[in-house]
Amino acid sequence: MTNRLVNILLVEDDEVDVMNVKRAFAKNNIQNPLFVAGNGVEALEMLNNSIVPLPRIIILDINMPKMNGIEFLRLMREDDKFKNISVFVMTTSNEDSDKIDAYNLNVAGYILKPLSFEKFLSSVATLKNFWQLCEM
Amino acid sequence: MLVDNNKIDVVSTRDAFSKLGIGTTLHFAESESEAWSLLQGDNKISPTPKIILIDINENGLSGIDLLHKIRETPDLKSILVFVITNTDNDENKVAALNLNIAGYIRKPIESESNIDFFSILNDYWNIIEFTSEKK
Repeated sequence: MTNRLVNILLVEDDEVDVMNVKRAFAKNNIQNPLFVAGNGVEALEMLNNSIVPLPRIIILDINMPKMNGIEFLRLMREDDKFKNISVFVMTTSNEDSDKIDAYNLNVAGYILKPLSFEKFLSSVATLKNFWQLCEM
Repeated sequence: MLVDNNKIDVVSTRDAFSKLGIGTTLHFAESESEAWSLLQGDNKISPTPKIILIDINENGLSGIDLLHKIRETPDLKSILVFVITNTDNDENKVAALNLNIAGYIRKPIESESNIDFFSILNDYWNIIEFTSEKK
């Protein structure tokens, strides 16, 4: 999948986390175009107005201002155009209610942000291997 | 749970799980109707599986039907479904992706690659969180 370099949209309000994802992508040699939205409202605007090319993968934080990840996901899933996007939640929220909501909205995975960058790197490497296994 | 009508695949999956030390309970269904019976019918298993692997061949209709039924059933809709296939069938792929599967995956041709294949899947399952019920 990564060979075809599908577009990835990161929906994340924390600048340090955005930087960590970019660094982890670079270290794992993930060359897919990466676009960033700071919250759910911005992500929906980007998708609805084709401000970014249609992503095949979204990496989604949960706790964000204006519109959180679950609200964004609920609205996104209502639109047929975005139905087939694979969504991977990456969050610090270990709340069961968030996991239940996310899986009910059919995310492909719910990942807790590891505390150390080394562990984060390793999680991103695992994601890369999984993405390479998948046809999108 | 693995839904696969090919006995060799079932054996090699069981073998890969054993070699990789994947300790999770693995249920098998040889057909979509058997899978449905295990999920909702007389032979209902408990707890409901968190992950289902559906093998879809060229005529993927019954696998896609099963996926539809899972997504339309409130108790089952949140299950993580991976579709495994050995055929190029765009229609099946589009239908499965529109039903929000977690991955549409090409089955390895060489049986030796089976271990690598399940090793990658297992690594992925290990980094994701599930709700507090047991997988």
